[in-house]
Amino acid sequence: MTTNTQALSPSRLAWQSFLKNRTAVVGMAAVMGFFAVALTGLLLTKGEHPILNPREVRLPDKLKPPISTPNREAVPAASLPRLGVYVLGTDELGRDVFARMLEGGFVSLSVGFVAVGIAVAIGLLLGGIAGYYGRSRVGVWRLRLLTVDTVITGLIDVMLSFPSFFLILTVVAVLKPSIWNIMIVIGLTSWEGTARFVRAEILSLREQEFIQAAQAVGVPGYRVILRHLIPNSIAPVLVSATLGIAGAILTESSLSFLGFGVPPPDATWGNILSDGKRYIFDAPWLTLIPGTAVLIVVLAFNLFGEGLREAFNPKLRQG
Amino acid sequence: MLTKRFLILAPTLVSLFLFQSYFWVPTFEDQVKGDPGRLTRYISASLGDASILNPTLSADAASSEVNSLVFEGLIDRDLDLSFRGRLAESWKIFEEAYLLVDESLKLSDGAPATAKVLLDRLNAAKRSQAQALRLVQTIELLPGATVTEEVRPPAREKRSQGAQPAKVVIRRPPRLKFTLSEVDQDFFEELDRLLGGYVKRLDPLKFVTAPDPAIAQAVAEERISATEANPVIIFNLRRGVHFHDGHEFDSDDVRFTYETIVDPRNLSPRVPDFEPVKSVETPDRYTVRVTYKRLFQPGFESWGMGILPEHLLNREQLRREALRAGKDQEKFSVRDSAFNRSPVGTGLFRFVEWKTDQYIRLARFHDYWEGPANFKEYLIRIIPDLLTTEVTFYAGTADAYGAQPHQVARLQNDPRFHAISFLALGYTYIGYNMRRPIFQDPRVRRALGMAINTDEIIRYVLLGHGERTTGPFPRQTDYYDPDVQPLPYDPDGAARLLSEAGWKKNGDGILEKDGKPLAFTIITNSGNEERSAIMVIAQNAWRRLGIQVQALTMEWAVFINQRVDKGDFDAVVLGWSMGLDADIYQIFHSSQTGHFQLNFVGYQNPKADELMVRIRQEYNNERQVAMAREIHRLIAQDQPYTFLYVRKNLALMDAKIVRMKPGPDGKPQYLPFVPNKLGRVNFHFDEWVKTPTPVLPPYRSEISAR
Amino acid sequence: MFTFLLKALWRKLWTLFFVSIVSFAVIHLAPGSPSQIDPMNPRFTKEQLERYRAAFDLDKPLYIQYTLFYQRLFTGQLRSFKDNQPVLGKILERAWNSLPLFLVETILIWCYAFPLGIAAAIKRNSLFDKVTTVLVFALISIPGFYLAYLGIIFVVENFHVDVIGLRTFGREGVGGFYQLMDRTWHLVLLSVLGATAGIAVLSRYVRSQMLEVIGSDYVRTARSKGVAEDAVLYHHALRNGLLPFVTMLGLLIPGLIGGAVILETIFAWPGIGRLGYEAILSRDYPVVIALNFIAAVLTLIGTLVSDLLYMLVDPRIRL
Repeated sequence: MTTNTQALSPSRLAWQSFLKNRTAVVGMAAVMGFFAVALTGLLLTKGEHPILNPREVRLPDKLKPPISTPNREAVPAASLPRLGVYVLGTDELGRDVFARMLEGGFVSLSVGFVAVGIAVAIGLLLGGIAGYYGRSRVGVWRLRLLTVDTVITGLIDVMLSFPSFFLILTVVAVLKPSIWNIMIVIGLTSWEGTARFVRAEILSLREQEFIQAAQAVGVPGYRVILRHLIPNSIAPVLVSATLGIAGAILTESSLSFLGFGVPPPDATWGNILSDGKRYIFDAPWLTLIPGTAVLIVVLAFNLFGEGLREAFNPKLRQG
Repeated sequence: MLTKRFLILAPTLVSLFLFQSYFWVPTFEDQVKGDPGRLTRYISASLGDASILNPTLSADAASSEVNSLVFEGLIDRDLDLSFRGRLAESWKIFEEAYLLVDESLKLSDGAPATAKVLLDRLNAAKRSQAQALRLVQTIELLPGATVTEEVRPPAREKRSQGAQPAKVVIRRPPRLKFTLSEVDQDFFEELDRLLGGYVKRLDPLKFVTAPDPAIAQAVAEERISATEANPVIIFNLRRGVHFHDGHEFDSDDVRFTYETIVDPRNLSPRVPDFEPVKSVETPDRYTVRVTYKRLFQPGFESWGMGILPEHLLNREQLRREALRAGKDQEKFSVRDSAFNRSPVGTGLFRFVEWKTDQYIRLARFHDYWEGPANFKEYLIRIIPDLLTTEVTFYAGTADAYGAQPHQVARLQNDPRFHAISFLALGYTYIGYNMRRPIFQDPRVRRALGMAINTDEIIRYVLLGHGERTTGPFPRQTDYYDPDVQPLPYDPDGAARLLSEAGWKKNGDGILEKDGKPLAFTIITNSGNEERSAIMVIAQNAWRRLGIQVQALTMEWAVFINQRVDKGDFDAVVLGWSMGLDADIYQIFHSSQTGHFQLNFVGYQNPKADELMVRIRQEYNNERQVAMAREIHRLIAQDQPYTFLYVRKNLALMDAKIVRMKPGPDGKPQYLPFVPNKLGRVNFHFDEWVKTPTPVLPPYRSEISAR
Repeated sequence: MFTFLLKALWRKLWTLFFVSIVSFAVIHLAPGSPSQIDPMNPRFTKEQLERYRAAFDLDKPLYIQYTLFYQRLFTGQLRSFKDNQPVLGKILERAWNSLPLFLVETILIWCYAFPLGIAAAIKRNSLFDKVTTVLVFALISIPGFYLAYLGIIFVVENFHVDVIGLRTFGREGVGGFYQLMDRTWHLVLLSVLGATAGIAVLSRYVRSQMLEVIGSDYVRTARSKGVAEDAVLYHHALRNGLLPFVTMLGLLIPGLIGGAVILETIFAWPGIGRLGYEAILSRDYPVVIALNFIAAVLTLIGTLVSDLLYMLVDPRIRL
């Protein structure tokens, strides 16, 4: 047991506590690994003549198991896989699963990031405004009835009332299918949690002395929010962002299953998985590979996020 | 510690209770052993639930499956696709034609065209066997009448006339009524020649007096015509047929079914098929006389429509039902009736129950006029997921289901299952929007088609379960011209054609003409693996030629309403599902190119137009076939579509199901399925039975188009 | 307290009003028309299409449609576009089917989550804790439909029994006891799959609550006073740690509609989730709006109950 009398800042304390949680650290490492794979995948599979081609259709070679050789007679030389074998097999159109998984990794990651980015941005904005300006009154046509806080928490209540997946499904079914629409919709329907956290944190922080001091000195509102309040309330936001990315990846695969996912020919792990479900008896690798990949990545994010949450919560810290 | 013990006991007990229930549930083997009744039930699996169990009001697949068993029509198709009488024993088709008598006109020799003169001339011509009158059986004179009416001016005119009703006098002249033994669309043409141009000089406007010429014109067009041709069908109904509730079937039911369809309150999707009907009369209990307003041969087949029981749905019944339900008696229509969830018909099976989204149960009808079916019950299970349907089928809790090519491929040699495949009625195609400049050159369209290896698509995407098609008519019919050759797979030839059409490769390898690249977007609906595959394959093939193609899928409703219906697309991958008639007017006629109409590619060929109109009016099969083949050749030449293929519908069925008839010695005789010309095997469904163990080798379809 | 109740109710009513507008608006952005009208039928004319639109009120201005819809919903006259049956009747019937599923899932969740979470908290950082953490998160990291397929295939291939639907098909003559057991069996796989997410989330929450309480002062006091370890944990700690969960009872109500859309579709279970999904696909406006609305009502009731319980249970809070 260490008796460390040196005063550490809260973030350092959190970090140390986090490092002690081995499962969480493994999770973080896996997440970083995933980032690396996704970026490499992007480089390897983008452009018109990529190094590993995920779009090449080779009908004679459809549904081949992993580590199988291509049918050199039926497939034109230009379409043969770069590595000489189909590392992870082919799908129902003869496309290289390995290449598609690499492409899909980046796309799934970006779906998660953008969706969560939007959610966090809106959550921070609205939560911040509600927390800080909460008591100001606004209204229409000179009827200054409602407080900002009431309006924003009212909005949060409305959003929370809808069963979220059902709402996402309704909206996505209505819009033109595209990867951006999906990202935006997932983002727009998941900001409530963040907003609430941020608002609660700011409400409690607002009363603290250093904030009151800043106000007394005359620092303008937005600077107080940006430089003092938000950095201090970032903890729960980080946690929910991490968990949110995991959730977004899963939501995207559920949408693919229902037929509303990212449209072809873009590959995401979610749509590779749901496209492969028809061949579960004939070509189990088509579902096993993306399924396992999603499992590992989402698990990693979840462990990482949980670890963060524990680390940031002083009441849960060990030692 | 009580709490601790509770925390451990609770999950243990709950789990034990739940999992022990497994032991009370029958396994697949048990299901048949302990329950011989299972063999008397036929269970089919459907992806979607039925909507309305009334053939006049619904057209979706699940409802149609039930309706085809519970209801019956006047006619249907036989094994070789010729028409066969069901509720109608026999029928006769002839024509009644009308010609105006205009005494003010003169015939070629100067005689005035009075009724007497015309009659004399015509009768004389008939006696001397004039060609024009060869089908005429009788000629009658019908007197004219004068009518005065108040007509509201048409909406357009309101601003000028101030919505005042105008007084219109219609002096309808006498008419000659010709009864022809057959329907002949050229009758008036030939009559005109016989009478020296009299027919063409007739002007209905002469007989209408109105204050405003526009009103006169409108009324004349609507109420008087120089010539009128009414095909007539007389159906002789079968006697001794009963509805499931015992009531006898007669001509009133037929008339009532027609009236239900055309009643606007019922919003029937079948209205277009019956709109050309002028009247349905019932001269006696077992005769129905249908008169059409104009020649419309495709209308005959619609009498395969299931017949509704008039005694359960007539005005009085509906009123009573409305009263019981506390609804507005005047507004209550057939569409609102509870009958649609509990139908009564004359068909092989009668309705028992319908649990929404779960199953529909039917039981055999003991008094069916042809004798009852072998199966005692017919059940339709609703299972929305393909994979679980497959699993259910292996479990033996479904006897048949519509299978995918790869599933059939896997089970080809499995002795437990029949594998049935037959060509669908319809085809898949790539349509080009001919209003876009890049698609206006037929060489470009041809080249695009030649670049796609359709045979490969059939081989690898459909796993061989499809056939090439070259034109707009169903392959299985005579209308399809088997001599029209499909486009060869020839990418080099395609490149040459494009080059001929002025497209040259630019620095980036993209084809260009007048500084514009050959680039377009191809779209299709999401959720259809086949079409998505075609899109990707086409995109690839075209990319190799140097064409920039973007491929998009979108949700069905968006796809249809926002893009296809508004003509806002470059190319589409779509399919048509059709009937057995030769009517493609709505798909290819140049008048059908507006928004929300079906000629969304904008095809315009005047020669084909004329043929399409004539073919609808032709009641003689041989002539229809000749016209259809010519249309086929014209369209194949023009390539508004790249016609791809006709897919095969595949079904897997339990091999223990066979046909059974009592043999001469009274013992059951087991027979294999006999497919009809389309390849379907359920023609003898009433003879089907399920045996405890297989008695015949499993059925494998051999059918091909020709 | 009474004033609090009134204020909460007032807020909820306003939220409900906005929810009704949002659910109505989202649907009417949809660019498709109800699928009964199939424009691809080669025999339809434009006039017929218009007549359908008129019959379904689609030709009237939006605010009139809004009023008509909700008026009919409240008087029970609202009818589905698909089969003309009263919407409320349909929803009730399907809710009745979803109810046993929901009950069993809830029981499973609570029965498993608490022991798991408490044990994990007590044995923090032990192998047990680490293994359960990873396992529990792994279960929610697999895309739900994939896990479902694996489950179905596993059970069907190894145990040869039917798992789809409400009960085994074609077995009509058997006695009541067998029918009950049959239905229970069919519930099992589906509710186990549905409960995994809930168990995972709830057990983590329980764990962190317990950890917080275990580390608190009064527990330390009890220990130092010499109270038996078991009593400390299961009596003092538990009682206070579980306070928040009492309030969660209220939040269970909206879970009914939450929508096990995917699971219900796979298992052919005629429940609310599947009803919603199919209604969205066929643009069955009445059903979608009604479902959204009812879900919101249930959620709001749930949160109201939650707030009430929270207030009753914790005398320190007086909002």
